[in-house]
Amino acid sequence: MAEPSLTGDYLAELSACLPASIVAELADGLEQTHRHYLSQGLGADAAAKAALAEFGEPEVIVAAYTRASPARRGARRLLASGPAVGACWGAALIINRAWAWPVPAGVRVLLGTALITAIALLAAAAFSGHYRPAGRAATAGCIGITALDLTLLTAIPLTSPAVIWPVIVAAAASAVRISFTTRTLRSVLTG
Amino acid sequence: MRAEELKGHLDALLLAALEGGPRHGYAVIEALRLSTGGRLDLPTGTIYPALRRLEAAGLITGSWSVVAGRSRREYTLTAAGERTLSGKRTDWRDFAAMVSAALEAKPWPNPA
Repeated sequence: MAEPSLTGDYLAELSACLPASIVAELADGLEQTHRHYLSQGLGADAAAKAALAEFGEPEVIVAAYTRASPARRGARRLLASGPAVGACWGAALIINRAWAWPVPAGVRVLLGTALITAIALLAAAAFSGHYRPAGRAATAGCIGITALDLTLLTAIPLTSPAVIWPVIVAAAASAVRISFTTRTLRSVLTG
Repeated sequence: MRAEELKGHLDALLLAALEGGPRHGYAVIEALRLSTGGRLDLPTGTIYPALRRLEAAGLITGSWSVVAGRSRREYTLTAAGERTLSGKRTDWRDFAAMVSAALEAKPWPNPA
């Protein structure tokens, strides 16, 4: 058994920042490292200290997991692909003279605010140095982007646009993004 | 060898460590230690996130088992991981040959 106060404190520090499944894997590795040093003739306390030294500082481990987290990767991909999807919708709206559509000003402001908020949340996730906050921001950002895509997909065809093909291209881009966002959300929630 | 010197090569080392069959995190670290003659100087804790990153990239797969009452995650190289490892091996051989040729070349005589 690992020396309880040293390794226990170490794992508690990791548990405060990382999901239980990750900490369980680290705990198993730490236990085996501890056993390795015990088998080399060290006492329990010295073996625990050596195992912790070999593992590295908790903040270094948390930072490495955060860099590899599905939240950060997914948010970066959504931010990178966002301009392409936005350009498709922008072209569809301009070609169809969307500014002349009978959409209340309040709805326009609401959609604009939702878009900016979702982008800000994804940016926060993409550049976060903390695992859990990155996951929360990515989750909220993914839900926001999906809600916006679904709104566009359902609302714009109802306005009977004059030129259909740009709307079809933009709708296809949104559908692909919804699929990717759903997968990202699933991996963030299970990761 | 220190972490910064390993940048860009850690993925290949981890994939190579899994080439012989499925291994859990600690066994991967032990395999790396053996294959590098104990010269690898990395915080062990950073190997585990690297394994998760490779798993997310589809180069390895992970599965849980329970050993002596403790959860253990074991990793297996995928077909994509085997292809990536093969490519990285070729790249490394080319790179090492180029650097060796440059470092071991005899100096040209000074024209002056």
